[in-house]
This record gives sequence, C-alpha cells and structure tokens, in this order.
Amino acid sequence: MQHKIPVEKLGPQGETMARAVEQCVHCGFCLPACPTYQVLQEEMDSPRGRIFLMKEVLEGSLKPVDAEPYLDRCLGCLGCVSACPSGVAYGELISSYRMHQEATRRRSPLEKAFRFGIQETLPYPARFRAAALFGSLAKPLGSLLPKKLSAPLELLPSALPAARPLPELYPAEGSRRARVALLAGCAQQVLRPEINWATLRVLAKNGVEVVIPKSQGCCGALSMHTGERARALAFARKNLEAFPSDIDAIITNAAGCGSGIHEYLLLFKGEADFDKAAGFAKQSKDVSVFLSELGLLAPKALHSPVQVAYHDACHLAHAQGVRSEPRSILSSIPGLDLVEISEGDLCCGSAGSYNLEQPEIANTLGRRKAANIVASGARLVATGNIGCITQIEAALKKQSPEFRVLHTLEVLDLAYREILG
Amino acid sequence: MSKEVLQELSKLLPAGRLLTAAAALSPYQSDALTAFKAKPLAVALPESAGEVIETVRWCAKHQIPFVARGSGTSLSGGSLPIDGGLVIGLNRLNRILKLDPKERVAVVEPGVVNLDVSKAAAPFGLYYAPDPSSQPVSTIGGNLAFNSGGAHCLKYGMTSNHVLGAKVVLPTGEVVELGGESLENTGPDWLGLFVGSEGLMGVALEIKLRLLPKPEKYHTVLAAYDSLEKAGSAVAMVVASGLLPGAMEIMDSLAIEAAEAAVQAGYPQDAKALLIVELEGETLEVEAEARHLSEVIEASRAYKVQIARNEAERAKIWKGRKAAFSAVGRLSPDYIVQDGVVPRSKLGQALSEIEKLSLRYGLRVANVFHAGDGNLHPLILYDGRVPGELERGEELAGEILKLCVALGGSITGEHGVGMEKKRYLPAMFAEADIELMRKIRQSVDPHELSNRGKMFPGGEAEALVRQGLHPLEKRGVISRE
Amino acid sequence: MVIKTPTIPEIQEAVKAQPRLLCRAGGSKQALSGADGSVTLDVSGLSGVLEYQAGEFVFTALAGTPLLEIEKMLSEKGQYLPFDPPLADAGATLGGTVAAGLSGPMRWRYGGVRDFILGVKFVDGEGSLVRGGGRVVKNAAGFDLPKLMVGSLGRLGVLVELSFKVFPAPQATRTLRVAFGRLEEALEACLRLAASAIELYALDFEPPAGLALRLGGLEKALEERSRRLWSFLGKDGELLEGEREARYWRGINNFGWAGGKPLVKVALTPKKIAGLEAALLHSSNPLPSSTRRYHAAGHLLYMAWDGSWTELDTLLKTQGLAGLVLAGNPLSPALGINSAHPFGERATRALDPQGKFAR
Ligand SMILES: Cc1cc2nc3c(=O)[nH]c(=O)nc-3n(C[C@H](O)[C@H](O)[C@H](O)COP(=O)(O)OP(=O)(O)OC[C@H]3O[C@@H](n4cnc5c(N)ncnc54)[C@H](O)[C@@H]3O)c2cc1C
Ligand code: SF4
Ligand code: SF4
Repeated sequence: MQHKIPVEKLGPQGETMARAVEQCVHCGFCLPACPTYQVLQEEMDSPRGRIFLMKEVLEGSLKPVDAEPYLDRCLGCLGCVSACPSGVAYGELISSYRMHQEATRRRSPLEKAFRFGIQETLPYPARFRAAALFGSLAKPLGSLLPKKLSAPLELLPSALPAARPLPELYPAEGSRRARVALLAGCAQQVLRPEINWATLRVLAKNGVEVVIPKSQGCCGALSMHTGERARALAFARKNLEAFPSDIDAIITNAAGCGSGIHEYLLLFKGEADFDKAAGFAKQSKDVSVFLSELGLLAPKALHSPVQVAYHDACHLAHAQGVRSEPRSILSSIPGLDLVEISEGDLCCGSAGSYNLEQPEIANTLGRRKAANIVASGARLVATGNIGCITQIEAALKKQSPEFRVLHTLEVLDLAYREILG
Repeated sequence: MSKEVLQELSKLLPAGRLLTAAAALSPYQSDALTAFKAKPLAVALPESAGEVIETVRWCAKHQIPFVARGSGTSLSGGSLPIDGGLVIGLNRLNRILKLDPKERVAVVEPGVVNLDVSKAAAPFGLYYAPDPSSQPVSTIGGNLAFNSGGAHCLKYGMTSNHVLGAKVVLPTGEVVELGGESLENTGPDWLGLFVGSEGLMGVALEIKLRLLPKPEKYHTVLAAYDSLEKAGSAVAMVVASGLLPGAMEIMDSLAIEAAEAAVQAGYPQDAKALLIVELEGETLEVEAEARHLSEVIEASRAYKVQIARNEAERAKIWKGRKAAFSAVGRLSPDYIVQDGVVPRSKLGQALSEIEKLSLRYGLRVANVFHAGDGNLHPLILYDGRVPGELERGEELAGEILKLCVALGGSITGEHGVGMEKKRYLPAMFAEADIELMRKIRQSVDPHELSNRGKMFPGGEAEALVRQGLHPLEKRGVISRE
Repeated sequence: MVIKTPTIPEIQEAVKAQPRLLCRAGGSKQALSGADGSVTLDVSGLSGVLEYQAGEFVFTALAGTPLLEIEKMLSEKGQYLPFDPPLADAGATLGGTVAAGLSGPMRWRYGGVRDFILGVKFVDGEGSLVRGGGRVVKNAAGFDLPKLMVGSLGRLGVLVELSFKVFPAPQATRTLRVAFGRLEEALEACLRLAASAIELYALDFEPPAGLALRLGGLEKALEERSRRLWSFLGKDGELLEGEREARYWRGINNFGWAGGKPLVKVALTPKKIAGLEAALLHSSNPLPSSTRRYHAAGHLLYMAWDGSWTELDTLLKTQGLAGLVLAGNPLSPALGINSAHPFGERATRALDPQGKFAR
C-alpha cells in the first residue's frame, strides 16, 4: 500500500513501520485470525483497519487520540502475522507504534495509576506476590469494585501457592549433555512456581545442567508491548548482564518472555549494544524447542490413557512459530492421546496484561476458548504460557471446574514421575 | 445533509452501530484495491435483516446513496464507499439460518463468510462449491454481488450456479423474494439477473445456497515446466483430451517464489511454471481418469510431476496457490492486478506474449491464475518510489488488456467492473447494450442510490481521494470522471 | 397473423411496427407460441451455427437453429449439451429452449440451461438489437442478461443469437431402473443418492415408486461403478445399455410417455413430491402415474394433464407450486402460485416499455 509516512522523522523504528504499511495489500486474509475482529466484526478492530489507522496517524492526517480506542484493543497476539500471506510484520509495527506514541500520549489519572500499578508490580515477583496476595483476600469484594479494578481479581486463584525460591544451579542427572540458563519469568514464579520446578526436573532428567542467574529480572516484554520503551530497555539490559556466556542456550518456559526476548532485535534497533542483544535473542529458546533438538528421554507408558488438548499460546505459535515441538513432546508420552482444539489459532484473551486492560473482550475470548476446549473432549489442557494458563483456568472454572490446565513441561514431569495417568 | 437526518438513522441503530467519527470511518475508505479511496458519510452496522431494510428505507427517503459491504475484498473498487454516502457493513449478519442436509440447502445471512458455509456443511459430507481464493474472508453477499468464481469452478460453475434464491431489499425499500429452493423455475430468471449485478440493484438479506456432496476422491497433480508457454499449452491439451478436471491452475516462477515464502508449500523452486490439475469425483472414475491424465501430462513435457498422496499434501498444494495472490506483496511494494480472460487454446500464446512484454518494459509480471477457464491474473510488480516505474507499469497493464481483447477474450472474468474497469465497458459492449443495462438499473433504482457510480461509465460522485492516478486510468482504459 | 422474419433487421422492423407480438420458431411448445390474437413472428428462418470451436468447448448459433442440428454438430466432436434440452425430435430450437427455460434429465449432472448459457443477442421491446454476456467461458462484465432470458417466454425480447459452453460427452453410459414398494421408499433412496458421492448423469423418480439412474464416464470404470450403485441401493433392477439405453432416454426427453396429452412443467423440491402425487391422484380426472416424470432428484417435473386448467391451477397453488403449460390451451400458460414482484415488473418495463410482448 502506498503511504506518505515521514520515515526520517520517526527515529530508528520509522523504517520498520513504513515497511509494514507498505507490505500490506489490504487483502483481508488476517480478518478471520484476529480475535477482536471476530468479537466486534468491525473494520477498525481488525489488523487491516489498524494498519490503516496507524498509517494515517503517522502521516499526520488522523489524531492519535482518535485512533487510540481501536489500537488499544489490539491484543498483540500476532494471529494476523501467521495469517498474512504478504508477510506484513504487524507485531513490529504495533510495538514500534506504541513505543512511538506512548511518549506523547495523555492518560487520565486513574488510567495512569492503573498502568503504573501494572508496570510496577507484574514484572517484580515479590511485589506481584504481595499484590496478588492482597487481591486474593479482596476477591469477595470484587462485586463492589468498578469493572476495571474487579477484572484482575477474577483471574486470581483464591489462594496463592507458597513461594519456593529457586536454586542458583540445578545439576544434571547422570552424564551432562548440556548446560543452559533459565529465564524464570515474573508472574509465573508467583502464580505457579511449580512450572519452573517441573522444568528443572525435566531438564535434569535429560542430562541438562541449569543455571538460574540470581540477578535476572523481567524480560521487558510487558513494558515494550504497552509502549514503555525506556523501561523495556532497562529491563533487557539488566538481563544482558545477568546471564552467563558459557552456556548452550537460554531457556524460556513462558511464551510471553520467549517472544519478548526475540523482540530485542526491534527494541535495540539503533542502540549501541544492538549486537549483544541480538546475540542474546539468538541464544534463547523455548524449552520445548530445546528439548526437541536435544532429543527427549522417552517417558514410560501411562498406567491408563489420558486425553490431552494442546492450546497454542499466541506468543509461541504466532510470535515464535513454535507449534510442532510441544505437540511432539506430548505425543511422545505413550498412552497420551493428543487432541486439537477448534479455532486453535484464536487468542484466549490473555495476551500479557490485556485481560487486565480490556476485560470485556478478554472475557468473551476466554469463554469462546473454554467452549472450544470443552468440545475437544479432553479433560486436561496443556499449554506453554502462564498467561494462558491463568486465563483459561478462570474461563474454564465457570464452564467445567473439573478441568486441569497444565504447562506442557508439567505434563511431561508428571509422566516422568509416573503420576500422570 | 442536515444533522436531523442522520439523527433519524441513529434512532434505528443503537449506539455504537452507526459510525461517524473520522477514525471509525477511515478503515472503511477502501476495499482491496487501495488505489481508490473515499470517505463515507457514515457506516451503519445492522445486526438483522430488519435493520438493513430500515436503513435502506432511510436512504430511499432521504435519497442518500449507499454501498453494501461484506469483507471489503473486492479487487475492483466494488465496495469502495460513495463520497458522502452510507456504507452498510453486513459482517454482523453472519448467521447460518438453516442447513438442511437432506435437501442439501443452506440459508445464510449475507455476512456469512464463504468458508464457514462449507465448515458447517462438512459434518454432513457436503460443501459449498465456489471457492474464491478469498474464501476464508469474503462473504456470501459479496460473492453473490460479484458472481465470484474460484479454482474449483470449472465443473460446477461460479456463485450464480449455486445460489437458489435470495431475499432482497430493493433500493426503494421494498422487499422481494427471487428464486426459491428448487433448481428449476418457471418464468424469467430474475435471480440470475440479480446475481453479479455488483450491488447496483439492492441488498441481499438472505441467501439460499445449494450444497454439493463432497467428492469422494481428489487426484491432485502438480506439474513443473521449464517454460510458462508449455504449462499454458498443457491446459489446452487437458481440455482437448475430454477430461473435465475440477480445477486447473497455473503459477509462474515469481508466484511460486512468493507462495513458497508465505506458506512453504513445497513447490519445486526451479520451475518456470507450475500447473495444478485436480480431478475430483467418484473414486473409481477418478482413478480411471488419473491414468488418462498422466498420459496427457507426460505428453505436455512436464519435467517433474508430483501427485498428492494424502489430504495433507493436497492441502499444502492448495494453500500455496490460494495465498499466492497476497503473497506477491512480499516481492514488491506495489502491484497492479488484472483479470482478463482469453480463449483457452490461446493461453500459451498469451503467456509468452506477456513474458515478452515484461522483458520489454523491464518490469516483473507474476502470473497466478485460473487456467482452466482462461482467466488470467497478471500481477505487474513495480515500485512506486522509483521514478518512471509506475508509468511503465501502467503501459504494460494496458498492453496486456489489449492483448486479451485482441485474442477474443474479456476484460474481467470474476473481479467485476466495479470502479476500476468502468470506462472499459464500452470496449466490451455497444452503446445500445449499455443503455439497456442502465435502463434496467434505473427502473429498479430510479435515483441510482445502490452503489452509485460503479460499473457504468461516467456519472459517479466526485472528490474521490487517491494517491496518484491508477495505471489504467492514465492509459485511458478506465476512468472515474 | 403470422409474419416470417428470417433476418434480424426484419425482426427489428416488425417489433417497431406491430403493437403486440409473439414469437415462434420450432413450434414444439405449442402452448407458449400458439396464436393469442397478436401477431406471430415466425423466426424459424433465423437458423444456423455462427461459430463453433471444438477445442474451446463453446459455440454461437442463431436462435432458430434446431437442437437436432446442434446435437449432431457436437456429437461429431465427442461433445454434448449438458442441460439435455427436451423435444429435440419435435423440432425444438435453441431459442425456444432458452425462452421456455427447459432442461432435461441429464441436467442433474452439471446444471440446467441457465448454467450453460454464456451470451445472448436479442431485440428488445423498442426494436433495438442488444447483447449481453460474452463468448468466452468466463465473463463478469455487465449484467447477466443471458441468464435473465432463460424462461423469459419471449416477454423480454426476441432472442436472435445465443452462445453456450458445452462439455465433453461421457465416453459411455448405462442406466439402472429400480422399482420400490412404496413412493416414500423410492424418494428416500433418491435423496440418499443425491446426497451421496455417487455421481449420476440422471436421477429420475418415476412415480409411483421407481427410480431411473444413469451412470456415465470412462468405459473401463463403468462396470464396477454400476456394481457399486447396485450395492448402495441394496436392490436389483433392470439394466439398460447401448442403443436400447439411448432410445429409452430419447423417448423420455421427447415426452413420448405423455401420450400426446397436454403437458406441464413444474419446478419443485423433493419434499413436495408426496403431497403433489396424492393431490393428483385425488383430482377429478387422475391420469396414470406413468404420465409424470420427475427429473433431477425431484426438482423438475414434466406431467401430462387433461383435466380442467382451473383445477390444476388451484391444485398447484394449494401445494405452493408454480407450473408452466407447454402444450395445451390454457388461458395463460403460467399456473399455480404467482411469484410476480416489483423487481420483475420494473425490469420488464425497462425491456419492453410499451408492453409489446405482454400476453
Ligand atoms: C487475495 C484475494 C484473492 C481473491 N480471489 C478471488 C477469486 O479467486 N475469485 C474471485 O471471484 N474473486 C476473488 N477476489 C475478489 C473478492 O474476494 C470477491 O469479489 C468477493 O466476492 C468479495 O467479497 P466481499 O465479502 O469482500 O465483498 P465486498 O468487497 O465487501 O463487496 C463486493 C461487492 O459486493 C456488494 N455486496 C456485498 N454484500 C452485498 C449484499 N449483501 N447484497 C448486495 N451487494 C452486496 C458490494 O456493494 C460490492 O459491490 C479476491 C480478492 C482478494 C483480496
Ligand atoms: S493479511 Fe496481511 S496484507 Fe492482507 S490485509 Fe492483513 S496485514 Fe494486510
Ligand atoms: S495482534 Fe491479534 S488482536 Fe492485534 S490486530 Fe493482530 S490478530 Fe488482531
């Protein structure tokens, strides 16, 4: 599509944004893949429509504030990227755009406080834990609070699991096949510490030694996706320092973090330490990819067969193109019957902090996803992202409380320990 | 137009379903032909047939032109808004009202997406046959208005051959039923006239579709050639052999490259041209035909032949073909799509002429098209930022169109006239022909409210905004006057 | 009065000069072309194939060209008219077939006359010669006037030239006739077949309880396919092959079974058959069920009738059906429910503002 975007005036991300707009042929193939379009059925809330809006804002013919409601509703799920035959880098466009706009954006005091709250808690496990604990206690009060504040409460479990600090090193069992470092993730340490422990056990069983750098922090994805570029850079740099170099890979087990790190290439564009960040991104891998490449130790056959539905986390499937590896891990468990979820490409509505900021759409998507999962026939769903786990658990609780929602690695861990089925 | 008039409409449509703010209108300013843009007065988003009827009656009462819009994938400016007119977005009318597997009929609202009909019919072993490449996106309403075709329209025809009936609100606000549920009728085929009328005669509210039993067997052959001309001649050979494939499609090397980058279809990368031929039908018959086909393909001097061994391999072959069109966006920042038709026996000749033209003009031309019915889709790649490229592209597009007409073909096979080719209509039809068509339109829509300014040359609304002249417009082939 | 108009200018002339006109070519559908007090234009002289490129599978012919001539031309190249128009032996012409909107048993496989017409030239009510559609198999330019002319009964204009696409004829065909105990059983089997993957050239219901099934395709696969058809039905039947089979269908498509009685076409859907059959049996002058023939899995009925036209009109109305008299002398050939609508009325006026073709 032709445009008149003043590329030179837009900083290091200008070219990226212009290129994405240029590459869009307005064919609409992304419409069915877009969760907000599926829910709202209007052009402004579609990828194609948003590209138009961003283009006009960047060209100067539309006021940014007018486009905001529609751009804010974008989940950043990247369903549109997988669907786009023309290869439009929508993710890079919207992230760059948000970073570009946030600087000048006016927000109401309540909005500011809310965003500040999110930015200051979610990325910090200790703070998040304190807030979540408070939230869990405040749950019964949910109905008394305004929607914006009650939404996050719905997602919280009624009791938080006990905090279980991770060691700095987790040795390999038997002879060592590899040495890796684990990015522990923020929210997942609080909401489900078991994921990291399961990951460590599985890696160890497969002969992998794991370093868990103490000084690591948030990957920065949350800040980046909400347009807070400076904060995102600070987080990222902290990690560039924290991780050792004598390792075979940096392991992520939360899809959001994994894709966040891969986005360092965009974040660091024009920065002096771009190469370092790019190297970091290149080294990081989702745990399912790493294990598949390494070759997985075969689990024993299950005592009784179990049906498992696999949910594609957007940030694994769309953002990192990881679809087959988690599936092959699961199907390598003898007796495990892997089933697909219909509309599997559609986001569950979690999308980082989206379920906190746009609760209504997020809830609609959550219900839709839950219904599709229930229809799959399985009673256990596996996925690779803590955000999805929380969202799907909350949605399923209403429809089918007996359902279990586990991380792929938790399923594998249970299988190794012979307590899955 | 006065505020009160719009107010009246906002009473008919609840808050949030009458869009008037600049940011809400902006994404509706183009269809898939972004060279044309226009800002509508407002966008109405009705959710029921009743609301559409009321909206059209409001337009009739105040003489406000309107455009029905499905998914906005028209490639000819068909769903381009009318300056100062109303866009009626039908996407929320997306219910399948009835699906009768025994009688093999589906009754759908106009905003239902084409592929969703087949999905709903699949559990009964049925499907909806017309399959435009845009089928995951485009709506039945849009398909009906444009009589859309697809790769699999060789045997069982285009949209018009699969629509049994339609409930329509006329531009005057009256509601009529055209056709019925039977394959036959007595009396003039009014439905046949309405289908393909490009939204100029009202809005379809409910559409009855014929469903077909899913073919028992597909035999999908991918043949690679070292020249485009050979692939074109192969099509003529298949047609002449007496075989009646379900689909016959050609892609050239540029399209192969783009499709491969988009969906990794596994196409041979060194091929100058790929031909997809698909037989479909009863297993026993298809197996017998397949032997016949392989002889023909062999004689056509394909250097590599691949046969899909299972549904997954077949799906992969088709995914590449269906994505190819948009995928060409990867190869070039800009392209011009044409939709001309040539007699099938002239395909080889047309293609080699296009190749020569491409060389002469120094611009790449990608070819992805419905070879079985001679419907070309040359995509002329250019970079609008390079001085002179646009102009060369324009000239080349004009040459290709002239070539199609000279070979005895047509200017459009399925994308319609819309905005893009209206001035070219006189090249296809005499003045009296166009005059009569216009008379029919005016008898049904005296104020030309429904999709005003499309299809017929001249007379459209002013103040269309667009970036640079359309290539064909400069050539004097089309115009927006 | 009858005027012979073997050329297009003569037709234009006549249309301009005469206040009311009716067209006739082969005269095989007498109820539609019989004298009604207006001037009859005899266009049978406007005959001949203008263009036929076998490799393209398309042809263009003048409207008065007899079907027999076209069928002969096509069969020499192994091609056929897939919509299988009736009354060829009675002298039916291409134009008359289009104007009456008639297709035959084999329309079941690929579609009816509306699905194969590509282009049309006609003289409108003001005497202008106009063209719609094209001569290539695919064309999206302009309104689909060719389709509109199908079933127009000469009321929208005088057809002068028509273009069609055609298909390769099946290499071989054979027919299986099966009898069932009851109508419901036969209809059930008919619907089951229609929704199955088995591809038939014709799927006829022969009341009271029979089916006639025509298979076609490559010779070598036909034997096994007919065995499969048998086992699908779970029933034995009579097998027709070769010359005998061809004669059988030829007879059917020339309405030999109607015994020269008045003939009516009815458009319907299979679910209406049982009700209609019952109503016909209880009519004041019931004819044997062998004088009715349902084609295309029950979407198209041709029936003989020699009772009163008012009675049939009422009977069809009660069943929610519309019919068209092809042979006989009704007041108006259109029977049953009236599906007139403002869309049709207005467009008709655009084509024939002075009502020259009205009857
Ligand atoms: C990548 C790509 C591939 C394509 N491939 C094909 C192909 O293979 N074959 C093909 O034929 N086309 C193809 N097209 C063109 C396009 O998809 C079709 O024309 C399609 O039918 C448009 O459907 P839509 O829902 O997007 O309609 P829109 O673009 O929204 O509207 C198209 C026209 O229909 C009218 N309309 C819409 N709804 C109604 C209604 N309910 N009643 C009356 N009028 C209505 C509009 O006013 C407009 O004139 C392709 C387009 C793209 C972008
Ligand atoms: S699929 Fe890609 S090219 Fe097509 S409209 Fe969406 S973003 Fe643009
Ligand atoms: S990222 Fe997701 S929500 Fe945003 S436009 Fe793309 S598909 Fe829609």
